[in-house]
Amino acid sequence: MFDALDPILHSQLRLAVVSLLISVREAEFTFIKEKTNASAGNLSVQLSKLKEVGYIEINKHFKDNYPQTMCCITPAGISAFEHYVKALQSYMQP
Amino acid sequence: MDHTGFIFAQKISTTKNFLMEDSNLSYQDSLRIINDMIHKAKRSFHDTGIGAMLWGSIIAFCSLVKLAELRYGFKLPFDVYLLTLFALIPQIFITIRERRARKAKAYDDHFISFVWLAFGIGIFLLSHTLNVMFANWSPVWKEYEQLAGKEPAFKLSEYTASFFLLLYGLPTFITGATYSFKPMLYGGIFCWICCVVTVYTTVQVDLLLTALSAIAAWLIPGLLMKKAYDNAKTKAATENV
Repeated sequence: MFDALDPILHSQLRLAVVSLLISVREAEFTFIKEKTNASAGNLSVQLSKLKEVGYIEINKHFKDNYPQTMCCITPAGISAFEHYVKALQSYMQP
Repeated sequence: MDHTGFIFAQKISTTKNFLMEDSNLSYQDSLRIINDMIHKAKRSFHDTGIGAMLWGSIIAFCSLVKLAELRYGFKLPFDVYLLTLFALIPQIFITIRERRARKAKAYDDHFISFVWLAFGIGIFLLSHTLNVMFANWSPVWKEYEQLAGKEPAFKLSEYTASFFLLLYGLPTFITGATYSFKPMLYGGIFCWICCVVTVYTTVQVDLLLTALSAIAAWLIPGLLMKKAYDNAKTKAATENV
């Protein structure tokens, strides 16, 4: 029996975002945009989806009078990512 | 369809939720994305090396000036090691500026910053302890000189460099090992080798080895970090054109 892949994570951009955030403590919106080569609009939508399901936290504040959006992965996000990777592994096993 | 592709297709059919949004996202694609992003995140962190260069230069300079004082018999009106206190001011600015410039915070950075903070506190406590020891040892020294008519064979100053080198090696080695940055790892080991050697050498040799340790542990790795940082910056600028 194969594990079902989390539909939230099984999306190119959302998976890229979570993979990026799992490797850092927190990251700015611009950093994620730069690394994923996504458009700002698309990235905003996907980040909102990840936030809705509680996989990431988004904190908005000001830095040098400019708005700054910081994102970090939550324990639920880490757990979901681990399950996703395990599910992928089950598909890979002969 | 080859054999592997057939097995994979069978596996896909066992779950209804597999293909939800990105219908063309295979498990190989998923693994590639995860791998790429983790690597991209890892490659994003480059220290400017300015802090390492600053401390490497300051410690080497102070040790060499102190060595010159002993060797050529002159004395500066102040203790040259006080310069290290003044170096704290640019270090604070460097740290604030580097933190502000960073768009992401790595887990390692948090750990390493506490290692260096602990090192700073350790150096301060060691300096304080040694100062108290010298203050208490000085009357004993004078009394011995008066009674015996010669200097005592035990000189506390010949062992102080060993304590400092022991401490210099700790954060340098940990930083080198954590970031897999060999120049700093070897720099830390070099400090510890010098720590052992300075137990058996004179104060002048101790000072020379301290200067060499500062160059090996911080100045050279700092220059290499700066070069890597500049290269990464140029590469990023080229990629974003």
